[in-house]
Amino acid sequence: MKQPPNALADRNPHSMSPVARKLRHAGSYLRQHWILYVMLLPGLFFLFVYKLLPLWGLQIAFKDYKMFAAETPWKAITASSWVGLKHFRKLFGSSQFIKVLRNTLAINFLKILCLFPLPILCAILLNEMRNRIYQKLCQTMIYVPYFFSWVLIFGIFYSLLGSYGIVNTAITALGKSRINFFGDRSVFRWILVFTEGWKEIGYNTVIYLAAITGIDPTLYEAARMDGANKFQQIGHITLPGLLPTIVLMLIMKVGYILTTGFEQVLVFYNPSVYDVADIIETYVYRIGLGQADFSLATALGLFNAIVAFILIVGANAVSKKSLGRSIW
Amino acid sequence: MIQKKKHTGVALDASEKFVAGLAYVLMTVFALVAILPCLHVASKAFSKGTYVAQGAVWFWPRGFQLETMQYILFQTQFFTALKNTLIVTFVGTFVSVVVSITTAYPLSKPNFKGRRVVVLLYVFSMVFFGGIVPAYMVVQMLGLLNTYAALILPFAIVQFNMFIVKNYFEGLPETIEESARIDGAGDLRILVSIVCPMSTPVIATVTLLYAINYWNNYFHAMMYTQSTNMKTLQVYLYDLINSGAGFLENLTSGGLTSGSISPNITAEGLTATAVTLSIIPIIALYPLVQKFLVKGITIGSVKG
Repeated sequence: MKQPPNALADRNPHSMSPVARKLRHAGSYLRQHWILYVMLLPGLFFLFVYKLLPLWGLQIAFKDYKMFAAETPWKAITASSWVGLKHFRKLFGSSQFIKVLRNTLAINFLKILCLFPLPILCAILLNEMRNRIYQKLCQTMIYVPYFFSWVLIFGIFYSLLGSYGIVNTAITALGKSRINFFGDRSVFRWILVFTEGWKEIGYNTVIYLAAITGIDPTLYEAARMDGANKFQQIGHITLPGLLPTIVLMLIMKVGYILTTGFEQVLVFYNPSVYDVADIIETYVYRIGLGQADFSLATALGLFNAIVAFILIVGANAVSKKSLGRSIW
Repeated sequence: MIQKKKHTGVALDASEKFVAGLAYVLMTVFALVAILPCLHVASKAFSKGTYVAQGAVWFWPRGFQLETMQYILFQTQFFTALKNTLIVTFVGTFVSVVVSITTAYPLSKPNFKGRRVVVLLYVFSMVFFGGIVPAYMVVQMLGLLNTYAALILPFAIVQFNMFIVKNYFEGLPETIEESARIDGAGDLRILVSIVCPMSTPVIATVTLLYAINYWNNYFHAMMYTQSTNMKTLQVYLYDLINSGAGFLENLTSGGLTSGSISPNITAEGLTATAVTLSIIPIIALYPLVQKFLVKGITIGSVKG
């Protein structure tokens, strides 16, 4: 790369080998645009420290990590002894693993099943509102919770659903007994689904609304001329126009099925609902940083990362093939 | 956002009336479901303690008191937590936006040598994450536990946001840059005085995305900081909600406050007040957020 350009300057470009020509070209490019490479450094630095350096630590999934095997916990990574697939065998044989995997899939599929159609419905309905001010108002209000943190949402729903929250006040007023929403295994997953919808529907609605804006308005004019009623217009113009966005969103949702919902569950759950709420990542967090079983936690984290990687790359491939659109 | 409907003079037929009616009813319900819980919490924050304890406050304060608010502001760690969150949000957002721009610019040049490798590196790190245990070990190894840096590091560069900027840069017209280059401007000069001013919408969008990330982050703050004076707003809030009644008991039995606590101050009221205080900045900035993030989604997310 560092070929001095002057050394090559007197040569006839046609007599140069292709490699030399390439090098010469690269040399002058570097001389002219070195600052672009300097610009990349801060980003690469952060990428290296927080995203790539941890990959080195992944080896403890195949080791018996002993924190005090060397003078620092980091050096102990290399000092600990290899044990092959011991932790993976232990993991795949444990009932805990089956449980958290089942919970992860159950919670996320439940969310997709219940929530996926709602923003599409909202976008179509908002688009049908004639009163622009009221339309904007509704859109603004459903978009607000998207900007709340999970802790904040937990606070709000704790206030609503707690033993003395208004929901329980209403339930007792109807003569039924109080529900312990956050401790009841049969309702807890529904809290996760509901709050997820509460936070995310507005954001997804905006995405679909943007897609509706892209539909050619003359299509509606023509349909109207042909006597199509509103349902037919929605069914034959709006929905087909939205289809690529719908498919893309669905593919992405399935692709990220193992890696979404962590912070929500971490904030909302408690030991009495671990059986139905504990997902892979919360379990990794508890065994890793709670019980200090670093190797086992890393093994599970690695398994999760690999499966998630395959799912996401697969989702992207499907999206590229069927829609010609790539997620990145 | 929304396409303009032309009034063609055709009378609304039954289906149009039905759909419009459904739209107004359902969207009103959705909007109320989004807003009423917030209103409820805010009402609780200002209501008299007895009503709060009975669960008799709905969507408007009953009785009015500011004692709980005063208590949260001056007797708890609220301001320390707010300070920490503000520092992390401001410094973090600044670092992130600058780094995202300087990374996105070279990668947006089609002729940039090495572009494919670097892009691949960012994509790979976006879809493959080593996991929280190794990440924790790195932060520990660097001696960053209990520092602000540990709260900035995880979001210092969010690949997705960087790609939004990169996509936007790629869409800018080539000609203006070319003429500046002929006038002798270097890459840095072009980025600072031509590309960035042309990209204010996307920079605003990404700034907000980062700021929200930092402001709302709970997990990393909880994991990487232990000492009370490093608590961020989210950690403070979570601890307050979870300790609930225990928090009050500690105060009364521990003699932390002189005299008895006012009957207006209840565990429920304290939580509601802290939640309300945390909502305020988001609502205050909301017009800005709305303006740029509605646009930003169209700019960035679903790229062709």
